[in-house]
Amino acid sequence: MREPGRLCTDFTEFWRVFMSKVMPMKDAIKNNIKDGDFVYIGGYICRPPFSAVHEIIRQGIKDLTVTRSNAADDFDMLIGAGCVRRFVSTFLSLGLYGLGRCYRRSLEKGIPHKIEVEEYTNLSLPMMLLAGSMGMPFIPVKDMVGTDLLNVKSFMGDNKYKIIESPFDGRPTLLVPALNPDIGIIHVQQSDEEGNAQMWGIGGDCQYGANASKKVIVSCERIVSRDTIGMDPSRTIVPSFKVVAVVEEPFGSHPGYTPGFYDVDFAMGKFYQLASDTEDGFRDFLKEWVYDTADRADYIKHYIERFGYSQFKNLQADFSYSYPVSYEY
Amino acid sequence: MEGGSAMKNQTPDYIKPELMACCGAREIMDNNLVIVGTGFPAMAANIAKHSHAPGAMLMQESGVYDARPRRPALSVGDPCLNPGAAMIGGLIEIMGMFLQGGWINVGFLSGSQVDKFGNINTTAIGDYNSPKSRLPGSGGASPIGALAKKTIIVALHDTRRLTEKVDFITTPGYISGPGEREKWGLEPGSGPGVIITNKAVLRFDKETKEAYLASYHPGTTVEEVVALTPWKLKVAADVHETVPPTEEEIKAMRITDPFRMIKIYENRGYV
Repeated sequence: MREPGRLCTDFTEFWRVFMSKVMPMKDAIKNNIKDGDFVYIGGYICRPPFSAVHEIIRQGIKDLTVTRSNAADDFDMLIGAGCVRRFVSTFLSLGLYGLGRCYRRSLEKGIPHKIEVEEYTNLSLPMMLLAGSMGMPFIPVKDMVGTDLLNVKSFMGDNKYKIIESPFDGRPTLLVPALNPDIGIIHVQQSDEEGNAQMWGIGGDCQYGANASKKVIVSCERIVSRDTIGMDPSRTIVPSFKVVAVVEEPFGSHPGYTPGFYDVDFAMGKFYQLASDTEDGFRDFLKEWVYDTADRADYIKHYIERFGYSQFKNLQADFSYSYPVSYEY
Repeated sequence: MEGGSAMKNQTPDYIKPELMACCGAREIMDNNLVIVGTGFPAMAANIAKHSHAPGAMLMQESGVYDARPRRPALSVGDPCLNPGAAMIGGLIEIMGMFLQGGWINVGFLSGSQVDKFGNINTTAIGDYNSPKSRLPGSGGASPIGALAKKTIIVALHDTRRLTEKVDFITTPGYISGPGEREKWGLEPGSGPGVIITNKAVLRFDKETKEAYLASYHPGTTVEEVVALTPWKLKVAADVHETVPPTEEEIKAMRITDPFRMIKIYENRGYV
């Protein structure tokens, strides 16, 4: 990767060779996301980049267009905090704890403002990200036909979808546009300092969303060496060249989970639901868990103070290592 | 693991959500590929797998194939689905390669509003642009409704949840009637197979594609079910009482849900 002694021919090369991508979340967000950006946020209960979401709220970034399939409490929080203008969506709920409270307040009552929602499905949206990752302009999908999803169009207007006769067999074919977010944010188990990001467990649309994005922030449980990455390279889902920031953020997806590290925090999920039931409760929640905490380490410290170390310890995963693999020849 | 003295009773001990799960299980054939969610679907599929359909293979849209959870999963992204699964990918693998690829035999659906053609609304109650109640959205249900060969719909049986016509078709059933799915290019013969409610099992007429009463659960009557259905519900000539869970099915339930977590559905009105 690094080639000592090689001359730097331009700034990009200088940056690549000499500037580390490893930085605190605060800098990763400040340097790479601005008002109005289109942001892909990975996760599927599994590995939501929650500390990044908190940092976006903390920095007061506004007018974002956000996307991912099966959005959950992290998107609900961003909407409630007023960071979101547009949402390329499939679904948003608090899972076990029902409907997203802030999402509903936004769409039913315009609190804090009414977001614009462009609705797809858990097949079509991942396909749009896949198309984006491959540089294709659009992709055919076989769902959505016959539903009212075709009768509602928001900020994408007539470009939400097109129906054509297939040039091959003349059958009606639904096309949906590729998506290329300005930035993708994912949380993974491990990455090296260059951003070769390794993930295992439930994938959702993480790999496609990250690779569809023009650049990627990798949040990870641990930074490992390039040699460690090389011991099991099939687990890498995003290559270093796409990555602009690597943030070592233990417990970075809490109250979601990261396989092999910690469990879903159902108690915290319930806590958020109860808090977000009311506007005041949500405001207090943000103050306590986002604005009044400096960063993720501070958040964890507050969690332990608030709920006790044993509750925190109980979330930590057991170890059961998988069978080692060999790539030798 | 198996549940104690209740099993020795002559009358099998079961609650309504368990009966409904058994009705779902009976729709699954051996070696079927089944996309499941949590709760009823997972329970139903597991009963099938532990009784008449040991070769059925379950998968979750989030990316998991043939999971071996050590407790019932509470979501399709639940951590317990990871260790022991035969394959984990993501949405493109399950929803793209397997579902859109045409491999899935059975998919489970539920909804706040279900109509007589088996269309489901999970988007908004009332006007879309200024909804009375904004619901979660399509998620994986809509593609499952479009692309699984057969879908099983679970719903509460009252005149609010069941409706002549849904406010918004999020997930396609037979859309507006016979031939509609085919017109849109969906696979001929695919579509909703059954609506399982807390009162009855409804099936779909081959000609009209309208749901009719096939069987009513113990404790209710044809008249009650018809009264609770907001469209003019046709009744099968051979309408009968739903067969209660068999001993084999109860055994399978106690293995797959030893703590009877399915009881939470009683609080949601499934009684």
